Amino acid sequence: MRDVTDPARAPPELYHSNTFCKQNSHFRCAFLCTSLVAVHVYLLFLTSYKMHQTESFEADEAEPAPSVESDDPEERIKARRLRIAERNEAKKGRKLGEVLQRKETMKEEQRESQKEVEISERHMEKLKTDGLELVTNILVATDARESKRRTDEEEANRLRREKLENEARSSQEKYEEITHKWTEAKMKQTPLDLRDALNSQQQLCNQITDDKNKLINDLKQELKASDDRYVKDLRKEAKDTDLLIERMEEQISSLKKSYREKLHQIENSFGDERRTLLAKNRKKWEQQMKERCDKELKNMMHSLSLMEEHEDLLHKLRTQTAEEYNTDKIKLDTEVQNSRMKVQEMKFNCHLNQEKLDDKFTTLKKREEENSILKSQLKRKLIRTQDAVNNLKSKCSEQEKESKLENQSLSKDYTRLNQQYKDMQKKARHFAALDMERYEKVWLMNEAEVKNLAHRALEVDRLIHEQQLGLAWDSPPLDFMKRSGPIRSIQQDFRTAGQAAADALKEEQEEESSDIVEGSENTAGGVNRRIVKNILELLCDETGFLIDSKLQTLLSCLEKSERSLVKLDAVFSAMGIESEEDVYRMTEFFMKYKQLGREQRDHEAEAEATDLIDPKEILLALKDFTAQNCRPCGVWDSQHSSVLELNMRDDYEDAAYWESLANVIPESKLKLWAALDTALNEYHTVLTERAELLVETQSVKQQNTELRNLLHQYTTSKANSELDIHPTR
Amino acid sequence: MATPNFNEEPKVNFCITLRTVNTAADRRKMRSVIAEDSEWTLAEVPLLTTLCLQHIVKNFEEKPILDELTGGHKSYVFERLSPSLPLTVSANLISDESYWRRRVEARWGPADVTAYGDSWKRMFFERHLEGVVELFIPDVTDIRTVLELVPLCRNYVTRLKVSQLLPPIKDPSRFDEDDASDCASDVGSDGPSMDHFDFGILLDKLVNLEELHVTYGVKGCGMNFEWNLFEFTFRDCECLAKALKSCKSLKVFRLRRSKVDDDKCCILVSHLLDHPSLLELDLSHNHIGERGARAVGKLLNRSKLQKLTAYNNRIRGPGAQALAHALARNTTLTSLNLRLNRIADEGGQAVAQALMKNKTLTELHLEGNEMTEPTAVAMSQALVQNSTLKTLNLANNRLGVDGGKVLEEGMSHNSSLVECDIRLTDVDQESEFCITQALRANQNHKHHHSPTATQHPSAH
Repeated sequence: MRDVTDPARAPPELYHSNTFCKQNSHFRCAFLCTSLVAVHVYLLFLTSYKMHQTESFEADEAEPAPSVESDDPEERIKARRLRIAERNEAKKGRKLGEVLQRKETMKEEQRESQKEVEISERHMEKLKTDGLELVTNILVATDARESKRRTDEEEANRLRREKLENEARSSQEKYEEITHKWTEAKMKQTPLDLRDALNSQQQLCNQITDDKNKLINDLKQELKASDDRYVKDLRKEAKDTDLLIERMEEQISSLKKSYREKLHQIENSFGDERRTLLAKNRKKWEQQMKERCDKELKNMMHSLSLMEEHEDLLHKLRTQTAEEYNTDKIKLDTEVQNSRMKVQEMKFNCHLNQEKLDDKFTTLKKREEENSILKSQLKRKLIRTQDAVNNLKSKCSEQEKESKLENQSLSKDYTRLNQQYKDMQKKARHFAALDMERYEKVWLMNEAEVKNLAHRALEVDRLIHEQQLGLAWDSPPLDFMKRSGPIRSIQQDFRTAGQAAADALKEEQEEESSDIVEGSENTAGGVNRRIVKNILELLCDETGFLIDSKLQTLLSCLEKSERSLVKLDAVFSAMGIESEEDVYRMTEFFMKYKQLGREQRDHEAEAEATDLIDPKEILLALKDFTAQNCRPCGVWDSQHSSVLELNMRDDYEDAAYWESLANVIPESKLKLWAALDTALNEYHTVLTERAELLVETQSVKQQNTELRNLLHQYTTSKANSELDIHPTR
Repeated sequence: MATPNFNEEPKVNFCITLRTVNTAADRRKMRSVIAEDSEWTLAEVPLLTTLCLQHIVKNFEEKPILDELTGGHKSYVFERLSPSLPLTVSANLISDESYWRRRVEARWGPADVTAYGDSWKRMFFERHLEGVVELFIPDVTDIRTVLELVPLCRNYVTRLKVSQLLPPIKDPSRFDEDDASDCASDVGSDGPSMDHFDFGILLDKLVNLEELHVTYGVKGCGMNFEWNLFEFTFRDCECLAKALKSCKSLKVFRLRRSKVDDDKCCILVSHLLDHPSLLELDLSHNHIGERGARAVGKLLNRSKLQKLTAYNNRIRGPGAQALAHALARNTTLTSLNLRLNRIADEGGQAVAQALMKNKTLTELHLEGNEMTEPTAVAMSQALVQNSTLKTLNLANNRLGVDGGKVLEEGMSHNSSLVECDIRLTDVDQESEFCITQALRANQNHKHHHSPTATQHPSAH
């Protein structure tokens, strides 16, 4: 296979060599024709040129395509590109064709060679299996022999065993006979008989031994036979192995041979194919070469004639251009002279400019140096300021941090203080309540005490009057005595805005019902009630948006007056109007607003007799009013509510109360009492003196009596008699 | 010019040689002007690297320097290393195949490396270890000679083909004139420590061992034949069985011509039960009978065994029935060889019935088993049902003409069998032809489905 040249690979080289040969021969023809090398080259050049020409002509014929010789460079480029594309396509097409052709041939080849290969493969397979069978036949035969040997051996063994058993049985019988005869022999009395018996025994014994010997011999022979057989078998086996090896070798050689043959066949088939292909291709090649040769010759002749034409043309053109050239030359010479002058002028100018520019350049250089110095200074400054900025930034951030911290602490303090304050308030409220209670209790206690004292004083006064002075006693006014507990401030006159509104509306109704015209009567705020009512009704109508939608649905089932009342209540609460005063203020505000509006538009308003505010303006007015009025209201409210309870009590009336209690006994009476006191005191002293004197007299009287008694005793005593000297004597 | 590049130099102790070379060069330079010497060429001056490498080669045994060298230098050293280097140096250091090739060829002559997975190193160590084991004489050879080899060769040995094992020498004086491979004739009663080489010391250390072939016998004893040269004792059997159990990587185990009888077979099987990797078991040319066959049958379903070879044994009908019973439930076994046994019709029918249930077996050899027509009937039924069996060998059985016809009918319903050997079975030629036609049809069928499938001839 390898020795034979590959048909697929060979053709190109061959073709190449062929082309060379052909070309050479063709060239030789050309040489012969022209017999001049230069001419030949020239002709070749011409042919190629002509071919280009024809190509371009063809292209021109196909369409007015861009030509290479065109004046427009773009068109030329386009033309070249087109040409390259065409050439590439042509090449590709040729290649494709070749490939297709080759493929086809390959297919054919493969088909033929494949067939060959398949056939040989099948053949070899068959050969192989046959050979294998041939070789393994020996194996099978040996196996068969071996199994036959085994069965034979088994059979022989069985026979042998039977034989041995039979033998053993018969010998046993004989032995038993002998032993039996021994007892018989023992019974024999006569020596002759004994001898006979012994002889017969011996004969029997000999028979047994003979039998045994025979058996042994038989076995020995069998052993020998089997030994022989073993040797034979060995030999046979050796022969078999030899045969096996021989067959294997034979097989190998035959297989090799057939393989080689097959290979040769396949190679031959390949070679044939290759040769036919080669011949075909060569024929084709020669034909094409011939065609080409003819074509070239024809082209050459054509180009020769063309060349002559062109030469003539060239000559003509040359003379023409020479003339043109001369005229042009003269023209251009004059131009050159002019331009030289111009050049000199320009040179002068140039020189001047150059000097100027040099000067400028130096000054600019200096300036640049200055600039660079300035720049560096500025840069330094910039850096410094940058540093400062950075420092400041860091400081600022620190400051911010600090302030943040401070803020946090302060806010904390604030919350804490707030809390404390709240606590304090709570405490204060608590204490206030406690104090209140205690105060009340103390009050009550003190009051009771004071009342008691007052009563006593009054009683004493009465007694003094009745008993001492003998005057009729009339009690002073004692209405405050009936009171008890601390005095409370009375807030009856503080009415809420709602009440005020209700009043306003109700009064109106009453007025209507009773037909009493009280237009002139003014309310507390000095505003006409009717106006107030009107304004309120307007408010009701206009400010519906301030009322809850839920509330409105609820209200729909109510009476008109009630409905407006509730509505007003809601409006007031939304606007922050609380007291009656506020209501009146609001009406006043509206009035003023209206007046202001009227002043602005006098003429229009005069037509309207009503003094009511325009419903369009009421919202604006309301807005202004709430802006003016209601802002402080909330602030005051919160303050007021917190202090409200603490400031409830005022001790203004307490002093009077207590004063009136203290002055239950008037001053005149006290003077009377003082005078009475002094008089009574004098009386009392007199009385006491008298009492003392009475006591003295009593005691002197008693002394007298005692002394009398003593005297009497002395005189009347026995001792006296006994005495030498009688006392009395 | 060989400029002495000291940076490249691997070891300092070569400086001495370098210096001597340099001085010699200097002297020569002084005495003769090179320019005048017309025969002087630069090529003759040995490169310093070459000198260094030569030195490395010379002193490789004392100082093996290899890892520091570059690729080209390494191959230079490998080319020149002596094939008689001690294994302790070379075993784990040198992995270059060309070196080991030289070593193998120096020791055993030309060899075929394809049988050793294209690794000369593996070939060397396997053959070396086999040699050591085969020449091991119990109680005479020091057991350390084997054990010393283990760390050197454990990574490279994947197959061990021990074709002989020597028995212990009983009375060496009697056999002085014998060959070196000869040894004691009678097994002594006073007891050598072992009857043959004990695989227990070796197998658990060879981590890559996948194949083990053992024959308890002596090769080439010639006219010095004694029966007890071919003795496989119970002690050997126990040792071998334990060693097999300890070797977890073993895939193929072959114990041929070793007089393995039923008891020994039972011992072996009891240790091989649930072996993690064993795929192939070969117990051919032994004396295995019914009990042994029963034990192997038990092993079939308690291992991953794919190939079981037990030809030329003494398995009869009951043993074959036990095997067939195991085969019916087995899902791993692909090849079963019971050639030259005595399973007869009893066993043949059992195996055929097992084939109806089995779905994995592809190869079955039953040549020379004294089977007759009933087996052929059973087998043809099995062929109709079974669709996995590819090779069936029934040669050397007296199937008879009727058996052949039955088989032919069975074959006509089968589409998987591609080989069926019925030579010497008394089958009619007509049926034989029909069967081969059916086989060919199956082959073509298969060939169309898998064109790459090749048919292996069953040449046993």
